[in-house]
Amino acid sequence: MRLSAYLKDKWPAACCFLLSIATVEILLLAWPLSAAARIYVCAAPVLTRLLLLLTDYDKKKRFYDDALSKLQELDQKYLLSEVISSPTFAEGRILQELLEDTGRSMLEHVNEYKHAQEEYKDYIELWIHEIKTPIAAGKLLTENHPGETAKELQKEFDRIEAYTEQALYYARSSTAEKDYLIKRTSLHALVNAALRKNRAALLKSRTALILHDLDMEVFTDSKWLTFILGQLLQNAAKYAKAQDSRLEIFGTTSPQGVLLTLRDNGVGISESDLPRVFEKGFTGENGRLSGKKSTGLGLYLCKKLCEKLGLGLTLSSKQGVGTEARISFPLNSHVYF
Amino acid sequence: MQKILIAEDDETIRRELKTFLNKNGYEAEALESFEHPVEDLLARKPDLILLDINLPLTDGEYICKEIRKTSDVPIIMVTSRDSELDELICLNYGADQYVTKPYNIQILLAKIAGLLKRSQGSAAPDTVTLSRFTLSISGRYIEQGGARRELTKNEFTILYYLSLHRGAVVPREELMDYLWESESFIDDNTLSVNMKRLRDKLQDIGAEGSIETKRGQGYRLE
Repeated sequence: MRLSAYLKDKWPAACCFLLSIATVEILLLAWPLSAAARIYVCAAPVLTRLLLLLTDYDKKKRFYDDALSKLQELDQKYLLSEVISSPTFAEGRILQELLEDTGRSMLEHVNEYKHAQEEYKDYIELWIHEIKTPIAAGKLLTENHPGETAKELQKEFDRIEAYTEQALYYARSSTAEKDYLIKRTSLHALVNAALRKNRAALLKSRTALILHDLDMEVFTDSKWLTFILGQLLQNAAKYAKAQDSRLEIFGTTSPQGVLLTLRDNGVGISESDLPRVFEKGFTGENGRLSGKKSTGLGLYLCKKLCEKLGLGLTLSSKQGVGTEARISFPLNSHVYF
Repeated sequence: MQKILIAEDDETIRRELKTFLNKNGYEAEALESFEHPVEDLLARKPDLILLDINLPLTDGEYICKEIRKTSDVPIIMVTSRDSELDELICLNYGADQYVTKPYNIQILLAKIAGLLKRSQGSAAPDTVTLSRFTLSISGRYIEQGGARRELTKNEFTILYYLSLHRGAVVPREELMDYLWESESFIDDNTLSVNMKRLRDKLQDIGAEGSIETKRGQGYRLE
């Protein structure tokens, strides 16, 4: 709070006060008083008043400045009433009560939604685990009764499985809960797991794989990362060129950490689409190509999951030349405990 | 024959898994009631248990822990929960392996075979003797008479898988699946090239024609 703003507020009261002092001085003219007495009658109340004003200003300034700085530091601004110091003046106490009430109401509201979302996520997780049993049963049935139809069915089951997994990670990505487990693993193990899981798409696209320099160790949740890599591999396969498709996967180290790069020579992403690829539901030019069936969710999910895991994900591309996706694993000292 | 017990409450999976394992040379039985799973499982003296985590009445983790108190029988936990934490918990309870639904059945089969081999302590034979040559597993070479040819990792993986299914036609896709599972991430063309080299090496040691190509079906090793 600035002094000028405070004084501006007090201006009418000060005017009235000075006016009344002037009136008193005029009335006193009727008596033969010394100049000192006249000055005293004027100065004493003015000085006292000034002192009171300044102490009041100081008190309020302290309170509001403190509240403002605490507000700045707060992530959830509605929790302000919990942290401000109790004001020593009446208006401040009213304000505090107001803040407490609105804060409480907001908190209840927030918790209600948090709870609802948590519950919904739990249901989705449960549902996904339930649906895996019939998928497994279906796959076993096709295995035991081989034939052309079984082969086709197998592919459909694979698709159902992929969509199911995406839904699971979508649910996991959108809650504040920390449901991952950071462990030490190697790029090699992560890449191999992702390749094995996505072999059907990669083989279909006839992509030649070039793997090198993957011995680095990183700290992450391997299941989550396998999913993220899987989405990137699916993209590489989906947007591969018909001839001489190649995908190079390699790691590099820098003082900041480990970088995993997936570089393909696919159709690439146009310059105008590139800044938007991580947006939810964005499909772009490539997504509209016939038969690509883009959901606009893959990269969005990758980005969100990477953020939750504390990893960086960047994409660069040149149309007609290829795309490069990079995941950066920071060298965090706190993960070494 | 080795006995595998299936503890799974989904009827279709139970039935199909039994059929599948029986077809692949195991004696598969399934638990029908889940009143006393631990006693029932142990009473049947299985060589391996396929244990689902979500069972009625008692959950798989508890059963696993109880079995471990008295028996070292190999246990493969089957679960639809796939988080890193779930895996850790399962292995902590004493399961030997952990597979997530929906599993790749060939991988499950490979895991079963691996576990049984380990638990019975029978060391895998180091050489596979085929009709016209022998394949060394540790040395990764083929030999016939005095002639010997070293194999590359890919060539060896191909020949080893064919030798496991000797006499039967192995579809190209199945071979591809196995190669990728063994972390040989090769494409279709590379498989053809490796096949050609493998045949050349077989010819070198005088075993030409050992691998037969069935057009549109796959390969067969005699």
